[in-house]
Amino acid sequence: MNARQLSPLRATRRHFFGDCGIGLGKIALGGLLTSKLNRSARSAPDRVTTNVQPAHFPGKAKRVIHLFMAGAPSQLELFDEKPTLSKLEGKPLPPSVIGDQRYAFIQPSAGVLGPRFGFQRQGNSGENISDVLPHLAKIVDEITLIRSVHTDQFNHAPAQLFINTGFGQPGRPSLGSWALYGLGSETHNLPSFVVLRADGLSGGSSLWSSGFLPTLYSGVRFRSQGDPILNVGSPAGVDTQLQQDTFSLINGLNKQRLASVGDPEIATRIASFEMAARLQSSAPELMDFGSETRDTFSLYGCDPAKPSFARSCLLARRLIERGVRFVNVYQNGWDAHSNVEGNVRNNCKATDQASAALILDLKRRGLLDETLVIWGGEFGRTPMVETNPALGRSLGRDHHPQAYTMWMAGGGIRAGMSLGQTDEFGFHIVERPVHVHDIQATILHCLGLNHERLTFHQAGRDFRLTDVHGHVIKEILA
Amino acid sequence: MRRVTFTAMVTILCHVSASIAEEPIDFSRDIRPILSDRCFSCHGPDDKARQAELRLDRRDDALADRDGTSAVVPGSPQKSELVRRILSRDPDERMPPPDSNRVLAEDERQLLIRWIRQGAEYTRHWAFVPPVRPAIPNAGRVELGVNPIDLFVWQRQEREGLVASPPAELYTLIRRVYLDLIGLPPTPEEADEWYARLVQITSGPVETADKVYLNEDEWQKLVDTLLSSKHYGARWARRWLDLARYADTNGYEKDRDRSMWPYRDWVVNTLNADMPFDQFTIEQLAGDMLPDATISQRIATGFHRNTMLNEEGGIDPLEFRFYAMTDRVATTGTTWLGLTLGCAQCHSHKYDPVSHTEYYGFMAFLNNADEPDLEIPNPDAEAQRAGNLAEADKLLKLLPRQWPAPKDWNELEPDELAFRRGFAVGLAFADWLATERKRLVKWQTLRPVEATSNLPLLTVEDDNAVFASGDSTKHDVYSLTFDRGFAGATAIRLEALPDPRLPARGPGMTFYEGRKGDFYLTEFKLTADGQPVRIRHATHSYAKNQFGSNPVSAQLALDGDVQTGWSTNGRNGERHVAVFVLAEPLPTAERLELRMDFGRHFSSSLGRFRLSATTQAGGAEARDLPADVDALLTLTEEQLTDADRTKLRNEFLLLAPELAKPAARIRALQRPPALTTSLVMQERAPENPRLTYRHHRGEFLQTRERVAQLTPETLHEFAQDLPRNRLGLARWVVSPENPLTARVVVNRHWAAFFGKGLVRTLEDFGLQGESPSHPQLIDWLAVEFRDGGEFIKASWSLKQLHRLIVTSAVYRQSSRVTTEHLQRDPENRLLSRSPRFRLEAEIIRDASLHAAGVLSSRMGGPPVRPLQSDGITEAAFGRPKWKTSTGEDRYRRSLYTYQKRTAPFAMFTTFDGPTGEACIARRDVSNTALQALTLLNDVMFIDAARQFGRRLVEANGSDDELVRDSFRRILTRPPLPDELKLLTQFVKAQRRRIATGELDAKAISGSETDDNKEHAVWTLVTRALMSVDEAMTRN
Repeated sequence: MNARQLSPLRATRRHFFGDCGIGLGKIALGGLLTSKLNRSARSAPDRVTTNVQPAHFPGKAKRVIHLFMAGAPSQLELFDEKPTLSKLEGKPLPPSVIGDQRYAFIQPSAGVLGPRFGFQRQGNSGENISDVLPHLAKIVDEITLIRSVHTDQFNHAPAQLFINTGFGQPGRPSLGSWALYGLGSETHNLPSFVVLRADGLSGGSSLWSSGFLPTLYSGVRFRSQGDPILNVGSPAGVDTQLQQDTFSLINGLNKQRLASVGDPEIATRIASFEMAARLQSSAPELMDFGSETRDTFSLYGCDPAKPSFARSCLLARRLIERGVRFVNVYQNGWDAHSNVEGNVRNNCKATDQASAALILDLKRRGLLDETLVIWGGEFGRTPMVETNPALGRSLGRDHHPQAYTMWMAGGGIRAGMSLGQTDEFGFHIVERPVHVHDIQATILHCLGLNHERLTFHQAGRDFRLTDVHGHVIKEILA
Repeated sequence: MRRVTFTAMVTILCHVSASIAEEPIDFSRDIRPILSDRCFSCHGPDDKARQAELRLDRRDDALADRDGTSAVVPGSPQKSELVRRILSRDPDERMPPPDSNRVLAEDERQLLIRWIRQGAEYTRHWAFVPPVRPAIPNAGRVELGVNPIDLFVWQRQEREGLVASPPAELYTLIRRVYLDLIGLPPTPEEADEWYARLVQITSGPVETADKVYLNEDEWQKLVDTLLSSKHYGARWARRWLDLARYADTNGYEKDRDRSMWPYRDWVVNTLNADMPFDQFTIEQLAGDMLPDATISQRIATGFHRNTMLNEEGGIDPLEFRFYAMTDRVATTGTTWLGLTLGCAQCHSHKYDPVSHTEYYGFMAFLNNADEPDLEIPNPDAEAQRAGNLAEADKLLKLLPRQWPAPKDWNELEPDELAFRRGFAVGLAFADWLATERKRLVKWQTLRPVEATSNLPLLTVEDDNAVFASGDSTKHDVYSLTFDRGFAGATAIRLEALPDPRLPARGPGMTFYEGRKGDFYLTEFKLTADGQPVRIRHATHSYAKNQFGSNPVSAQLALDGDVQTGWSTNGRNGERHVAVFVLAEPLPTAERLELRMDFGRHFSSSLGRFRLSATTQAGGAEARDLPADVDALLTLTEEQLTDADRTKLRNEFLLLAPELAKPAARIRALQRPPALTTSLVMQERAPENPRLTYRHHRGEFLQTRERVAQLTPETLHEFAQDLPRNRLGLARWVVSPENPLTARVVVNRHWAAFFGKGLVRTLEDFGLQGESPSHPQLIDWLAVEFRDGGEFIKASWSLKQLHRLIVTSAVYRQSSRVTTEHLQRDPENRLLSRSPRFRLEAEIIRDASLHAAGVLSSRMGGPPVRPLQSDGITEAAFGRPKWKTSTGEDRYRRSLYTYQKRTAPFAMFTTFDGPTGEACIARRDVSNTALQALTLLNDVMFIDAARQFGRRLVEANGSDDELVRDSFRRILTRPPLPDELKLLTQFVKAQRRRIATGELDAKAISGSETDDNKEHAVWTLVTRALMSVDEAMTRN
């Protein structure tokens, strides 16, 4: 089915419920689509649709994979080469540079720490990339580096929430929820917003929450072990036949009830059970990596039998192939308050090859053009060293919201360029600042959604992902 | 040219409109919603956003002359600039502007034109006009079973040419009122008993359903029975806790547990006791400020302690306190006023008359409280303490017998052994006395003449100790000045003192991230008459870092590094001592000044402390002896009484390294047992008010002018005799002049019974909210509820409000949906039938457990963890495991389920349960595949089905009987023949497959007993039945 036809933008609210992946079966709703019975969402019933405006333009991207580097990777070790820091090592930065910035752990007078890795120019674009990212170095011509991202938050939970929901406190809808709200779903057999490797995160489940949007736009977190989707497997002793018998008993009873009570909501319930049955049968196929070649496993560097970031990248590709709209893959553990060198080395070992492989794999399958891939964390890390005997820390870096690096690739994004620059200390942005709200506006733009028009009325006003801010980063659009 | 066309068009339009109808325009109903939605964001109350200095929310402004034209000219659309602009085709002139995403529909333009032609009258927004008790239509028709609710609803139906639905079937009705009032379905036995009592046959046999009438007296009795059930409070507390954003953890990254359940239990108990809603309000907003506030009234203030607490390392605690304050303002607005006050945090409200300053004025009322943990006195704990002390005394007496004996004493006779041991203890005691007497230092306490800090208020108390109160930061600096008593001093002693006013009894002020009551002294600097005083070294009685074995010591408070210092983690509630030995005795100086720095990546200043000096030569050392023991050490042997000697000996025994292990046990017994705490509000002392400022753009760091306590001007006056504080605000909220609160509350309760409110936007009664479907009914209910009357005898009684609703005929209608309903009243705004809606997450779980016969009826207490799959809570920081409760606690009512904000109980989330992150006036009600999977496959439901199946097997009936029984335990009503057929077919089919071994009975039933085949069959039946639509629906 064509996603545009399924768009809720023109549909009634009920219609949209019918279209949203994990929501209702459209077919079973039959002629009830025009019914105005509503389910009393938190917003007044008819506002849900009237406030969602049709997008003005077809989006280049249909799907998004967000590789979220939770804990905040050090841009100074990965993407933003600063030889000056080596020269100044151990000396404090000029106070004029630091200003009145508040820090989480260090004193502003802390000495500078030089980069722990070397950098080389890579690809035709000649971008400087750290030696600790050998795989990314090979695909640098496929991506756009943004070295001038900045955020409002300097602590993990608020900053993770900020980039995922546009707000530093829990309770707002996440990017994936907004995307579903704006575009609906292309799959009836899988959840349309999937969250992978989300364990031990500072922001917790609020990071994929639908906030004040209807709850069915929430991300569905796949568990790292056991059945990925909670309860997708039948209980012990229940075979396919029995599960089918049970479904038909329940639907039989529900149909009799529908006939005597006449409430269309029962039809919706029947449809949701039908979808549950489909979900049960499609989930095993999704998780069966048997159809993947050995070549693919070695491209990602993953063992299909073991949970890893690499396997999740491969699963992300499988998900978007099956029409899933939005996938988060988390890598938690970049919070290098101590030994930034070891931290970066270990995290790169887990993520570098697979992140690059994802781009290559999408490209060779012709999916990269319509899949937007985003890589980055919630903020950057300080040019100054973090040392604290009372906490047992040394050679680390503290949180740095003023400047950090993210990269984007694929659907709607130019390949092989970089945007923005920081000063010689990597402290401030000196060229083309990009706020987190700009990143969000750009993601929506790639999907064909105008971030100023994608609104939801609640608590007395229209809310949007980017609050009253955000500008699409035009320079990086393909 | 354009002008001519325009005039012609207006003329045509006006004529067209005039010829169609001249029905009078109602500004509130027809015009304000349009103006509010399309115009006010640029031409409304917010002066910062206002364009062209035009505002349309006030008539005077709309009519004002503006260089010869007026936006609105009453009676004359042609002359009204507003009309010209809304009809203009010029994109530069057209209103709303094309790029605003706001469009006026043709009929809306016509309404505006007609309104202006009819005189452009403005009326106040309905919700800001105090409700006046409307006359009851056809009041003479009131009788048992017909109350004013019905007459208001029927009047409207008659006007629309609709008729009410007939009463629902009795079983449906019984189940409905059980679920609505107590959140549990009736058992078949209860249902049958009430059926028999309610059924009243006027003529003919029972089978003729339409001849069955309801016995009104018995209905009243059923309602009263349910209202007085203890389960009533548990059901209604859940709805209130949604508003209160209750949870059992702090939220944000660490999301650690908090002890908040006493507040939750307070809500349950208070609702069960039917505390009048005005009192319920006052106690929660300001219970601590009531005269002679009781513990219960202080617990009630937990309402606004349900805000989240960010404990992530490195945050600015004051910043997140500010966010908690914005949450309190927004929540108060939603819960009591139905106003979206939160909209005015960053700028004046775009739609409602609430200015930016008024927002912070409202905050100022709530902003003057400290936020302690209240220890709840507990007679059991007192008895336990007495027992512990007696046990400690007993053990203390026996302690000498545990003095270690050399190996060769093993062979000795008991008497000989006791003698030698006594001798050894005596020798050691004498040694100790001699040593301690030698180490004894005479300290003179120093009373500061001045004690200031960057933020906490330092108060010098009678014993010369300094007490810190109020807010603290990540880096606090205390400055103390002494003007005498220090000349010749060789050492300065700092005593860190415990105090019940401090978190975990101090001595520190740490309240988040670190251990409660901890402190971290990073620098200790002395100056005498402005000259730095050199300190040679420092010692401490005890030092421990919260973070592993990383060093802390008093000495580290001298190294000039604010990251290192002294802390006494792990022994809160005790006195600790540091002694700073000076390089030279202090000179005779005018002033001695002490600066102490505190804090690490979280706030951790000292809460109570005292300074002393000694002039003893050779300096001094920190010791761990209490002051009264020190005093005894100054006495000679002759001066000591027997009691004194025992005290000294006991102190020696407890400190002796040889007895460390048994002594530790005695010390533990001597410590007061931990009491349950609950988070409360505590108004600050008058000498230390917290000031409130306006925050530019709502940002924490952008403070502007100070703002005094202020309520929105547009609402009722803040009476002269009310104090301008939190208690005054609470009384202002429930004052009879308030146009909003009573309406907001009755509307929310209406929605609980009817799925939707009379005003559907439960949380918004402002200009962007919806108009009431039955304006007179909501006003009548509000006045009856607030003032009391014939139907709600006790004013503000929620139980009587509920009683009134469920004894109406409207409530008791059938929920059958007809074609006429779908066509004429599709959204049931006219209440032409009873609504059907999916039950709340908690009720679905409770009803299933109840049907299965395992639901515990125990009330209150700490939260519990029902069955839940692995791998869910691991999403949260620290990957916490879910440790399922054992025994009865697995089956407690859902209200008692542990609520972790960053990883909520999955089944609740799937069924739209709240996270406790924000105030929720109405939950989403979704219908999804994940819900189906949960009902069918989740461990908790499987467990319930197995227990249910076991009960059925034990009941030992025929298939028909068991199907009937399980059906009725879940759905109350008896099954219809077709339903019975489907179910018995299912039973037979599964029994056959189990018998052939196709299905594994053990795996299904979880049981290895001989009858597990039948157990498996009935497990499968109940599993399916608990998943049918009707089971999770209020019919």
